[in-house]
Amino acid sequence: MNWSIVRNDFLRNKVINLALLLFMMFSASLTILSVLMAVQTFTSISGLYKMAQPPHFVQMHKGEINQKKIDEFMSNYEDITCWQTDTMLDVYGENLTVVGKKGRYNLSDCRLDIGLVKQNKTKDLLLNSKHEKVTINEGEIGIPVLLKEMYGMKIGDHVILNGDGVTKEFVIKEYILDSMMNSPMVSSTRLLLSDKDFDKLQGKIGENEYLIKVYFSNTKEATEFQTAYENAGLPQNGQAVTYPIIFLLSALTDITTVFVLLQVSVLLIIVSFICVRFTIMAALEEEILEIGIMKAIGLPFADIRDIYLYKYRALAMAGVTAGYILALLLSGVVTKHTSAAFGGMGISTLAVLLSLVAGCLVFLLINYYCKAILKKIKKVTVVDALVTGKGFGKDKGGIKDGLYKSKRFSVNWLVGIREVFYKFKSWIMIFAVVLIAVMMIMVPVNLLNTFKAPEFITYMGSSLEDILIEIENGENLETGYANVKQLLQKDAAIENYYEYRSIRVKTIYAENKLMNLNIDCGINAGNELQYLTGKAPEGKNELALSYLYANEIGKRAGNKIELLFNNTKKEFVISGIYQDVTSGGYTAKSKYDFSGLVADKYSFSVNLKDNSEVGKKAEEWSKSLGAGVSVDPMKEFINQTLGGVAKQLGTIVFAIVIIGVALAMLITILFLKLRLAKDLSEIAVLKAVGFSEHDINKQYMIKIGYVSIIGILAGIILTDFLGVKIVNAALSITELGVKKIHLIVSPVMEYIICPLLLMVLILLVTRIVMRTIKKYNIISIIKE
Amino acid sequence: MKKILDVKNLCKSFEDTQVLNNIYFKVDEGEFIAIMGRSGSGKSTLLYSISGMDRPTSGNVLYFGKDISKLDDKKMSEIRLKHMGFIFQHSYLLKNLSIRDNIVLPGFKAGTLSREQVNQNANALMIKTGIDSVADHDIKKVSVGQLQRAAICRALINKPDVLFGDEPTGALNSSTTREVMDVINTVNAEGTTVIIVTHDAKVAARASRVIYLMDGNIHDELTLGKYEGAEKTKSSREKRLSEWLEKQGF
Repeated sequence: MNWSIVRNDFLRNKVINLALLLFMMFSASLTILSVLMAVQTFTSISGLYKMAQPPHFVQMHKGEINQKKIDEFMSNYEDITCWQTDTMLDVYGENLTVVGKKGRYNLSDCRLDIGLVKQNKTKDLLLNSKHEKVTINEGEIGIPVLLKEMYGMKIGDHVILNGDGVTKEFVIKEYILDSMMNSPMVSSTRLLLSDKDFDKLQGKIGENEYLIKVYFSNTKEATEFQTAYENAGLPQNGQAVTYPIIFLLSALTDITTVFVLLQVSVLLIIVSFICVRFTIMAALEEEILEIGIMKAIGLPFADIRDIYLYKYRALAMAGVTAGYILALLLSGVVTKHTSAAFGGMGISTLAVLLSLVAGCLVFLLINYYCKAILKKIKKVTVVDALVTGKGFGKDKGGIKDGLYKSKRFSVNWLVGIREVFYKFKSWIMIFAVVLIAVMMIMVPVNLLNTFKAPEFITYMGSSLEDILIEIENGENLETGYANVKQLLQKDAAIENYYEYRSIRVKTIYAENKLMNLNIDCGINAGNELQYLTGKAPEGKNELALSYLYANEIGKRAGNKIELLFNNTKKEFVISGIYQDVTSGGYTAKSKYDFSGLVADKYSFSVNLKDNSEVGKKAEEWSKSLGAGVSVDPMKEFINQTLGGVAKQLGTIVFAIVIIGVALAMLITILFLKLRLAKDLSEIAVLKAVGFSEHDINKQYMIKIGYVSIIGILAGIILTDFLGVKIVNAALSITELGVKKIHLIVSPVMEYIICPLLLMVLILLVTRIVMRTIKKYNIISIIKE
Repeated sequence: MKKILDVKNLCKSFEDTQVLNNIYFKVDEGEFIAIMGRSGSGKSTLLYSISGMDRPTSGNVLYFGKDISKLDDKKMSEIRLKHMGFIFQHSYLLKNLSIRDNIVLPGFKAGTLSREQVNQNANALMIKTGIDSVADHDIKKVSVGQLQRAAICRALINKPDVLFGDEPTGALNSSTTREVMDVINTVNAEGTTVIIVTHDAKVAARASRVIYLMDGNIHDELTLGKYEGAEKTKSSREKRLSEWLEKQGF
């Protein structure tokens, strides 16, 4: 019997039931999608890492190398399980030309350091998308997915290597997954050659760079090891990177996407709950007489409840099932980046199982919530239902009079505003949904904006200037420094520039252990960074520490730190802690000059008088300064490092904006349909006393508009206050290594475009729905 | 005397059912007309068709010589607001407003008088109908009779030319019916034309003319003349009407 009631109800309230079904479907779908993606990301990464075995510590080095000394040191270090040194042939982008379907182009604009390598035997393997070790034959080349995405290279395209009098042509055979260098935020990328080709080219083209890789029984050993390694005077002319940074840089994009999807699905579940509550209450109020009669004739509560519960169970079941199917269909889109960057063999069994669990949980949650609402039937008495007409509402009485006191306010505005003001609770659904829609749209939009904003780089440890010049460590460091300085002093296009000298000192941390501290010093050191706590170093006895360093040595802003250098001890105060993903994440900044210490690296941040000249100048200086000095326009640097994250997030955010807007529109339709059904007799009365359809339309537009404005304002306030907290909470859960992100708000989007878009569309659907009142027949409504 | 309404060849059908057939009748200014008939005879449909609440299928309704049967919603609403008043079987007051606010609402909307003037008129009407003591009450807290009188005040706030009533006493007991009808007769005596639909012969006996509808046609009419209110006249009018109704088969 119950099922026939359910069927009849579906046929009677098609629009409302369809809307409910859609919400349940979307919330289930997004929850399942985020679970699928989260599982997929982690299984793909762990699958890749398991097979490829990236090092726990890697020291890059250019120049002479004494492998015997390295082997000696490694074999004496306790926790090391394995080590190896690989050679990489560093070439420039202009040395590589691609000939394919897209035409002929070279990679001169690529700011990544390109290294030619051969496949390793057992560890740090370069894999294909199925996580299989790639084998390359003579004349073939494996291209990293990173470059494939940047340039759109295709299998079968030709890559011509040309430089130092050598020309060699390769055919692209595979796209390779590089567990260590698969993010644009890493400054290097590797191209795979056959052993024969590599051996033939070694010494003839490019410069040798060594990758000294170490594996530990416990990955946490990396930092302590780094100090010991550096103190041993082993090769260190290049970047040193530890496992946490490799993981952070690899997974940032996908974990951000998972977070955004999860946030949206949670909000959608809340919206579904609001809708379910509203429709159940509307149905109960409409059928209060029937409920009263059923109670009066002695039907038990559970029987009456089940009549309603069956319907919502059926809806939830259909919604979650449809959501699951939709999620499976869409999973390819959201896991596209994960599959491309980390490979994997489609959706894993674990992902399917966990997504099924997520779907079941959503169903049970809706079911439980419906049951909780339907308890109201238990509380209503026969007298409330049939005699007093009190129904389910708490009769608070006390209407607010005073309309007659109004002197000028237009009647339609008066009726609209008063209704919302005094009966806000009955409009709370629109308020809540608009608020949620604003948050749903704005938190991801702000996150995207943060990744796109040039200032973001200052939150990640890099200062923001027009051009960044770095002189690599090596024999020519001081010559390079002098050349750069001379060039900058002469160039009239320069507005200002700051120079930084990287030096290394020691500090004592837990159990009197010594640890190396790499400090960038200069008069502007740390000034342009954003600080998690504290501020930039000011006096000569102040020092700012990167988050990873501070964490490692257990120091906070305001603490004192003792540095050992030049055979002396000097005490510094930690002025602030900042986040850093550059230089392996372990850096410090100070204005003290540390004279007498040998520089490891020099860098210059340069601002030009005319920003439009940046590209031209960078190219000109790069040519003039030659090898060993990198000249990067910051905009280009940011675009190449964070562009990938922004691109992937952009697609998701676009979809979320559509979902958010559609949600607000659909709920408005659903709400208005139910509301108009409830207000039918009042509308008829208003028409009878002389209010035109236009007046009534206007009143509803005012009511919906008013509630929406309050919802939008509340949404903006919550986005501003909670957005950052939500994002940072998610970051700390994921343990990505990024402690804190300050969301960079796009004022135009948040305060103008998003509110306007929502308002216009909500009012538009209100207007469309209000057309139905034309069909209302005053007589039949009044006669009912 | 001016003709306030001139109904010509009025027909109304709902899908395949013809409810009103070629109705002709005229109403003079200041008249009090009661429309009677058995259930389903089309009396309410006639009332709503001539008051512009519903559109006739064909025919014309001339209001002071102007055809209102084909006016658009905006123009018709304007006429309903400023020139017509309505009362129904139930009061149909807006539940979020107090008695007073319900009454002033159409007055504020019409905007023909200042809001101060509308408030004064509302006070005067409430005093006249005896509901001034509950003026600021919630509509859930007053009696059905008081509600119906409030509905009359709302209908009269813009000083309409004509007051329409669809069974205005249908939900009231006999003493409340008397009170409400006294108010309506007073309003009529002051010059407002009244047209009501009723089943109640005692109520109809207060009208100056009674129209009897049968199967969508005007079957007969009875002119009772002006209602004076004196007990003697009242019973003779009621007797006359009863006999006439009996003849109609009522």
